[in-house]
Amino acid sequence: MMQPVLEVTDVSKRFGGVTAVDGVSFKVYEGEILGIIGPNGSGKSTLFNCVLGQLHPTHGSIKVDGHDVTGARPCDLNRLGVSRTFQLLQVFPELSVRDNLILAGQEHEGSMLDRLLGPRDAGLTASANQMIEFFRLSHVADEKAGGLSYGQQKLLDAAMAFMAGPRLVLLDEPAGGVNLTMLGHLRDRLKAINTEQNATFVVIEHNMEFVMALCNRIIVLAEGKIIAEGTPDEIRSNPEVIEAYLGH
Amino acid sequence: MIDFLTSRGFKIFFALFVAALLITAPFYLRNFGLYLIAMWLVISVAALGLNLTLGYAGQVSMAQGAFVGIGAYVTGLMTLAGVPWPVAFLCSGLLCFVVGWVLGYPALRVQHHYLAFVTLAFSTLVFLLMRNEEWLTKGIYGLTDVPRPILFGWNTGKAFDFYFFVLGVVTLLSLGVWWIIRSPWGRAFVALRENPVRALSLGVDTRRYTLMAFAMGSAIGGFAGALYAPLVQFFEPNSFALPLSLNLLLMVIVGGGGTFFGPFIGAATAVLLPEWLRIAQGYYLIIYAIVVMILMLFCPTGIMGLGDRFISHFRQKRISAERADKAKDMAQQEGK
Repeated sequence: MMQPVLEVTDVSKRFGGVTAVDGVSFKVYEGEILGIIGPNGSGKSTLFNCVLGQLHPTHGSIKVDGHDVTGARPCDLNRLGVSRTFQLLQVFPELSVRDNLILAGQEHEGSMLDRLLGPRDAGLTASANQMIEFFRLSHVADEKAGGLSYGQQKLLDAAMAFMAGPRLVLLDEPAGGVNLTMLGHLRDRLKAINTEQNATFVVIEHNMEFVMALCNRIIVLAEGKIIAEGTPDEIRSNPEVIEAYLGH
Repeated sequence: MIDFLTSRGFKIFFALFVAALLITAPFYLRNFGLYLIAMWLVISVAALGLNLTLGYAGQVSMAQGAFVGIGAYVTGLMTLAGVPWPVAFLCSGLLCFVVGWVLGYPALRVQHHYLAFVTLAFSTLVFLLMRNEEWLTKGIYGLTDVPRPILFGWNTGKAFDFYFFVLGVVTLLSLGVWWIIRSPWGRAFVALRENPVRALSLGVDTRRYTLMAFAMGSAIGGFAGALYAPLVQFFEPNSFALPLSLNLLLMVIVGGGGTFFGPFIGAATAVLLPEWLRIAQGYYLIIYAIVVMILMLFCPTGIMGLGDRFISHFRQKRISAERADKAKDMAQQEGK
């Protein structure tokens, strides 16, 4: 049987008396786009942060390609091929677009000494340029990231997550605050990467249209627990989801 | 005009101009003038180190003066004992690197003003050690007659020779720092300053870079101390007390933190400007303080930041004009 890229088993996270995530288990296979939806406070971001090493789960285990990575540091996870985007914009405003992308890839090759003595661009200018072109940011490649529009910064944020050719990318509300034109563009880019590179994604999103169009499979969280799992069509017609989340 | 000012050619021309000025100036200066410019260069190196820790990596440190002190005492004691200056110089840097690395550990747990207080406490601790451990440092009497180096038969004892010696060492150290900030390390330091959480998620080992920023910045402070000792030839613990650390902090902020030339400009305002203002006699400190306050009020990013703002302003104006022209052309085409 095919080994999952990500395997989350019985993960719980408690903050004092509050259980934010309660015994969540799921698997994500290569080339799959899994959506995680749920109302505000359902535990989506906490679950993400547990998977990505930003929080240590109270219980349960997380495996990437069969290796136990429970509680691993985010930088070590990233070097294992797990990348992410954040709910709020997280680019480096004082660096140029190209330098943001080079930074996103520079720590993956060689030692710290190699990086000190090696070339300034860590040999990544060509890859960064490819990514810039792919995300259609060529006209702002040399601008400081802080000077870009919100939508452009969102694209850059996504491009940075893909810069090191990750095995698995976790996207936290990629559509948040992005206008319709830019949203379609972002969805196309993600679909293209998924098709061309067989990349695996886990997406948290509130924009139902975006999730339904992008994901192969969807998990619904409510009060820290999984209440439904299935294809977009199955989720749309699931009465429990309609009751708990869609509310109509 | 802006394109010319930011072009590579202009930068090279400007660097050559400054180099020519620094090489020819001693021929027209007396001993005090030479001493002053050498002091500016040495203090610039100390500020350059702090700029790496604070300006680039964003780690607040109020202990840079203490590292200059450690470097000065190590070099002073070793050269007085007959050890050649280059060995003492390397030992100063190495000891400060190790101590800086250890001092970096609190930065993994606390940030901003909390970190400032940790480094402040360290600075006080070093001062007390220098003052109280008389068997080693000669306490309040300080070290006297620190010899100036003799390198391959070249005696740098005279002010003229010592100036060129300092200029050479400072040039090498500056090139080293320039290399670091131009390397991927420089990019990682900026990422650490701007958004450590995001940097960590991109594989940047923020823990290691934080420690390295402290260690390297401190080592450069130690190297500055190793130059300071033979420059002044006499020093005592008060030379490296808290005011020096605060002054270095001021230099980095006034010059422009996170820019390569900022510390040089900042050091010039702190070392050279007060001397030029001496014509104002007793009022010079008041004038100096007012100049610094006005600068910080209108340009919190420092003097280098002022230049950046000027360039960005004109660039933005040009981009807006180009966009407007483009929109006008499109409207005209649509009209046809």
